[in-house]
Amino acid sequence: MTMEKKEITGLITPEEISAAEFCLNSILRHGAQQARVSLSKSVLDTTGMLNGQLDKVSHSSDRSVFMYIFADGRYGTFSTNMFDRDELENFTLRAVNAVKLLAEDPLRKLPDISRTAKDAVTGRELGLFDEEYGNMCAEQRFAVAESETMTGKFPGTDKCRIISEECEYSDSVDDNLLIDSSGFVGRHTETSFSLSSEVTVEDSGGRKFSGWWWESSPFAKNLKTGTCSATALERAARQIGPKACKSGKYTLVTDTTVSSRLISPIISALNAFSIQQKTSFLEDTAGKKVFSDGLMLMDLARTPGRPGSRLYDTEGVATSDAPIIKEGTVCNYFVNTYMAAKTGLAPTIEGVSRPVLMPYNCGQDTGASALMKLCGEGIYVTGFNGGNCNPVTGDFSYGIEGFAFRDGKILHPIREMLITGNMMTLWNSLKAAGDDARACTRWQIPSLVFENVDFSG
Amino acid sequence: MKTEQYYLDRFRVTVPQLERLTATALSRGGDYSDLYFEYTTYQELLLRDGEVTSGGFHDDYGVGIRVLKGERTGYAYSENTGMADMTAAAEAAAQIAHAPSGNPDGRNAYGKTDIRPSNDFYPIADDWKNHASGKFIPVLNALEKAVFAKDPRTVKVIAKLAWSESEIMMYNSFGELVCDYRPLASLVVSAVFSNGSTTESKTAARSFRTGAEMISDSLVEELASEAVSGIDDRFAARRPKGGRMPVVMGAGASGILLHEAMGHSFEADFIRKGQSIFSGMLGKKVCNPSISIIDDGTISANRGACNYDDEGIPGQKTYMVRNGVLESYLHDRISANRFGIASTGNGRRESFRFNPIPRMRATYMESGDATPESIIASVKKGIYVDEFSNGQVKIGEGDFTFYVKSGHLIENGRLTAPIKDINIIGNGPQALADITAVGNDLRIDNGTWTCGKEQSVPVSCGIPTVLVNNLTVGGE
Repeated sequence: MTMEKKEITGLITPEEISAAEFCLNSILRHGAQQARVSLSKSVLDTTGMLNGQLDKVSHSSDRSVFMYIFADGRYGTFSTNMFDRDELENFTLRAVNAVKLLAEDPLRKLPDISRTAKDAVTGRELGLFDEEYGNMCAEQRFAVAESETMTGKFPGTDKCRIISEECEYSDSVDDNLLIDSSGFVGRHTETSFSLSSEVTVEDSGGRKFSGWWWESSPFAKNLKTGTCSATALERAARQIGPKACKSGKYTLVTDTTVSSRLISPIISALNAFSIQQKTSFLEDTAGKKVFSDGLMLMDLARTPGRPGSRLYDTEGVATSDAPIIKEGTVCNYFVNTYMAAKTGLAPTIEGVSRPVLMPYNCGQDTGASALMKLCGEGIYVTGFNGGNCNPVTGDFSYGIEGFAFRDGKILHPIREMLITGNMMTLWNSLKAAGDDARACTRWQIPSLVFENVDFSG
Repeated sequence: MKTEQYYLDRFRVTVPQLERLTATALSRGGDYSDLYFEYTTYQELLLRDGEVTSGGFHDDYGVGIRVLKGERTGYAYSENTGMADMTAAAEAAAQIAHAPSGNPDGRNAYGKTDIRPSNDFYPIADDWKNHASGKFIPVLNALEKAVFAKDPRTVKVIAKLAWSESEIMMYNSFGELVCDYRPLASLVVSAVFSNGSTTESKTAARSFRTGAEMISDSLVEELASEAVSGIDDRFAARRPKGGRMPVVMGAGASGILLHEAMGHSFEADFIRKGQSIFSGMLGKKVCNPSISIIDDGTISANRGACNYDDEGIPGQKTYMVRNGVLESYLHDRISANRFGIASTGNGRRESFRFNPIPRMRATYMESGDATPESIIASVKKGIYVDEFSNGQVKIGEGDFTFYVKSGHLIENGRLTAPIKDINIIGNGPQALADITAVGNDLRIDNGTWTCGKEQSVPVSCGIPTVLVNNLTVGGE
C-alpha cells in the first residue's frame, strides 16, 4: 500500500454545481414550472480485518443528481448518476414528458421561499466537516483497524474462546447541494470516522454467542480507539449461560444502545403522511397529552458538531430546535409542504433530524446500571431480535436479548424471549429515562425504564 | 437475445480494454479479479388518494471491480466507464494483494465455469420498453376501484407498480465474458379499512422477473381479492397468551421460517468464518428424514431466479438438506475455493456498488405426505400462522424471529379465534429438529420478499404446511 496524501475527491466541484444548475434550467426549459435538484456526492473507504488479518479494502465513490419536477400541476421524481451534458439534456426532457403523463395534483409545489434555510451557504456551518479527512491514507486506515483487533490478545478461558472477530474501520465524506427554481441554495457537508467490531465466542459446550460494538465521530481526533473489539468481546462473553425466564409482567430497562427502537414507531406515527393515510396510531393527538409526564422529546437539529444535525430538510425548509413531545403532550406533527396542503395542517418540517429524549426520574448516576438499582428486579434489554410495530394500532411484538436483574445486579442472561404490547400503553408506563445517550449516535435516546411489560419466554 | 457486442457497446468498452483492466487489477499480485458492469433503469407509478399523482424513473450506471487474494477482497467501483476512472478503481481494488496472503493452502481456482445456462429463467413476451409508463395508469386505477368495490369499509388505497431492467456484463480473469438482461417488476396494493371504531390495514403484492405481460385483469382481481380477504378476522383478532407452544405454519409465506431459521446459517461466508451454528455439520442429520430444503435459482420468472449469479456462475438448484441430512452450504467463489468445491451460484449483490457474497435465491421445502387438515387436527393447543412481515436471525446463536400479521388459535385440532401482531422466536437447529409433520401442499410465495443481509437482494420463499412442535410466541 502506498503512503501518500490525497485530495478530497468527495466534495462537489464547481463543474458539478454547474451540472446541477444545468439540470434545473433544462427542466424549466422543457416545460416544467418548478423544480428542485439535489446533487449528492460521497466517498467511503473501508478496511476490514478478519481474525487479525486484513480481509477487505473497499473504495466507494458515489455521485448522483435527484430531480423533483413540477409540471402542469403534476409531479414526478427522477435520478441519474450519468453527468454527461448531452445525457442530462435527454434525461430531463424524458423526465418532464413523463411527468406530464401523470394525473394532476395541484397541491404539489415548492415550499414558500420564506420557510427555507438561508444559512446553509458553505455546507460547513454546523462544524461537521473535518479537514483532516483529506490526509487519511491506506496505511493509516490499516493501522487503525489492525490496532483494534483482539485476536491473539485474548488467550481464551475454559469457558470462552474467540471463534471469529471481524473489525472494520471506515471514513467518509458526504456533500449535498440542494437548489430549486424559487432561488433556494443549500449545502451540507460532513465527514465521519467509524470503527465497528463483531466478535463470536464459543462456550465450553460449543454454543456460540456474538457481540457487536461501534464507535463513530465526525472528527478523526475524536474517534475513540482501542476499545471497540474489546467491548464487542465483552458483550459476546457476557451472554454465555443463558437461562429461560417464565412468561409474565416485568419491569423493562432498555440499554441506550437499543432504546431508539421503541421511540421509532412514535416518530413515524407523527408524520403527516401517516396521519393523512389513516395509518398512524397518533391521529388526532396534536396538542393532547397522551403519554407519561416523563416523556420529553426534542428535535435538536442545529447542535454544532453533533451527528444528525442539519440546517435544512430535503425540501430546503429550515430546521429548528423544537419540542416534539413535551411532558407527554404531542407538540407537532412532521408536515411537509404537500401534506400541509392536503391536510390543512400548518407546515413544519418533513421529518425528524436529531431527536433527543430528556432525562426523567433519574439520579446523578444516569446510566442503565443506576436505573436498574431504582427498579428492584426486572429484565435489562440489550438487543432486539426482529419484531415489528403495527403502525395503525401501535401494537408491537419484538424478540429481545438481555439479562434478568435484581437490586441493580445482573443475575443471568436470558434466552428466546419476546416483549409484546402497545406503544401508547408502553410510553404511559415510562418510569425513568437516563442521561447516557452515546455522543456518536444521531438519535439521542438514553436508557429507559418501563413498568409492567409483557414478556413471553 | 442481445449479443455480447451489444453489451460491450452499451458500456463503451472493448475486450482488449477489459483485459487491460484485469491486468491492472491483478498487477499487485491478486489471484483473481472480475468486472461487473451494470446499467439499471427503474420506473415506478404510485396511486394515492384516487389518482396516479406520483411517478418517475431512475437510471444507475457503473462498474464494480473486485480483486481476490486468497480469501481477501479488494473492491472499488466507478460510475463511468471511461478507461481512466475504471483504471483508478482497478488500482484501488488491487491494493488488497499488497499484504501477505491469508490463504495458506494457496488454492486459487475460484471456480472457472466454462459453461452456459441452458435455460432463460426470465420469460419475456412483452418487453417493458414497448410501453410508455402512462399505459399502466389505468391498471392502478382499476386496482383501487376493485378494492373499494369489494369492501365498503375501505378508507384508503395505495397502489404501486414498479419495474426495472438491468443490463449486466461480467468479465473475469479467466477471460469469461457473461451478459445478462434482468427484468424485475412488482405490483403492490395496500388498503386501510375502518369499521367505525377500529382501523386495520392489509397489503397484497406480486413480483416476477418477467415482461409487461404480468400486468393483467386477472392479476388485478387476484390482488384486490387478497387485499380484502380476512379483514373480518383482522378486526376481531386478539393477541394470544404468550409462551412456548406448537405452531402450524401455513403453506407459502411461512417459508420465511426456512429463510431465517436455516437459510442464512447455511450461507458459506458464515461457515468459512466459523460463525454459523451449522458450521461443521455437513453430512450430518439435522432433521426428520422426510424433509428436504432447497435454494433454487431456476424457477422461471421467480423473483429469486438467476440466469447467472453476480459472479457469472449459471443459475442452479441446490439441495441444502436432502432427506434430513445437511448436503450443501450456499457458496460464492470465495467459499467454494476455500472448501475446494464448485460454487453453487449464490454469489449475489445489490448492485455494482457492492461485492458479491453468498445469498439465497428462492428457498423452499419439498412437499411431504400429510394433508394440511390432518396437521391442524393433530394439535390440541397452539397457533396457526399464515401471514408475515419481517424476520431476522442471529447467525452464531441461531436464534431467529419472524413477525406474524395474522393467524388463528388452534384448540382441540380446530382453527378458532383469529390472532394478529405477534412475534415468534426460536432457535434454528432446534426448530428444524422440531418439525414433526410436513404437508403435501408446497406453495411458493410470490410477494416482494427482499433480503437485507448487508445489501438488499430480491428473493422468494415457499413451504408446505408444517408443524413446528415448540416455538416461543409473543403475547399478553
